[in-house]
Amino acid sequence: MTGFEALYPFLYPPVDEAPGGDDAREREVFAEVRRSTREKVAEIAALRERVLATYADELVACARAMAAAFAAGGRLFSFGNGGSSTDAQGVAAMFSAPEHPGAGLPAIALTADVAVLTALSNDVSFEVVFARPLAAAGRPVDIALGLSTSGNSLNVLRAFGEARRQGMLTVGLAGYDGGRMAEADVVDHLFVMPSSSVHRIQEAQTTVYQVLGELTRTALSRPGPPARRPGSPG
Amino acid sequence: MIRELTRADVEEAFLRRTAATTALADEADGIGDACHAMAARFSRGGRLITFGNGAAAADAAHLAVEFVHPVTVGKRALPALSLATDPATLTGIARRSGFEETFAEQLRTHARPDDIAVGISPDGACVNVARALGEAHDRGLLTVALVGGDGGAVAALAGERPSTRLDHLLRARSSEPSVVKEMHVTIYHVLWELTHVFLERPGAPGRGSSR
Repeated sequence: MTGFEALYPFLYPPVDEAPGGDDAREREVFAEVRRSTREKVAEIAALRERVLATYADELVACARAMAAAFAAGGRLFSFGNGGSSTDAQGVAAMFSAPEHPGAGLPAIALTADVAVLTALSNDVSFEVVFARPLAAAGRPVDIALGLSTSGNSLNVLRAFGEARRQGMLTVGLAGYDGGRMAEADVVDHLFVMPSSSVHRIQEAQTTVYQVLGELTRTALSRPGPPARRPGSPG
Repeated sequence: MIRELTRADVEEAFLRRTAATTALADEADGIGDACHAMAARFSRGGRLITFGNGAAAADAAHLAVEFVHPVTVGKRALPALSLATDPATLTGIARRSGFEETFAEQLRTHARPDDIAVGISPDGACVNVARALGEAHDRGLLTVALVGGDGGAVAALAGERPSTRLDHLLRARSSEPSVVKEMHVTIYHVLWELTHVFLERPGAPGRGSSR
């Protein structure tokens, strides 16, 4: 039995055992597909619950730090590979082209500039495609937000190294057990989606970065209480 | 000046996602039907063409890469193309023909009748997405829309059968664009996975009568 048959045991009956011919089998496949959809929906609902239970305080701390960085004139740089490159663009669009009325916040997806990506890949190496633009443009007040479902993408890890060297705020989103992104001193704020499904990880990561965006805007757009802790930022 | 944030802010944000996630299970029939029809199109040589605006442009690219380079080792690569990834083309069309033509004009250039058009519009109000889906339908493509809210102009394409210009309407039950986006990510991940279920079963597709 292949892995796929194990996942969908009803889809591969021996041909001569298919009950009732094609129509019955067709109905069986549709029933299995519907059941599979409902299972995946339940999985992502449960995963979001786990992420909330694990990271509620960390989300507050991270959003507060991001708000402080934007308030100090910082910009956000986002990066990731493959599907995560589109999430990096989702992050940048969420801040710089918000759906709601009002001014955007400066955010740039390092994955969107194909000229820079291919120049660095061709001339230096793929590992530096995010680190080099950060080295050129990054400032200590800026934010580096990287996504890697495995936590092991070398170009994302290299970018965090460069961002930390410059004193930027670093935010990492990963899955599985966090991989190398979860090692000590890689990022300031780490969010690991505890799942082994790349798809569910990406779905939970989308929630995390969108909630971070909502919280950051909330922190920036409303008047805060009087400073209670002397010396605290903001 | 920065407002204090509390755990309650985070809990409220996650809570706003709960109902829409639960309601997603109600789309299981529609998702299954769409996957079956998509598998039939791929099996006769069709290609997937995706489009959307803003953050949904990133989702259109994400959906395409799911098919072109599957995350699951051993899955067949299938042809897919996002119309939202090339700013030179997009801005060129917008300047010459107007923003509403950005995707429809590319469809006229690239699409073949066996192809699949998937438009993503979180509030359903994207005129360029609606126009491209209508154009796709008129050219014989399978049309699939991912929307939210009341579905807007995009959902209106579905109209009354037999005059419908939209084959499959998949709707996230929220009017918040950010919540809708998260539901869409799950929907298109499932579209990819279950399309393969139909493609890989013995006896296989192509004979499906659904468009």
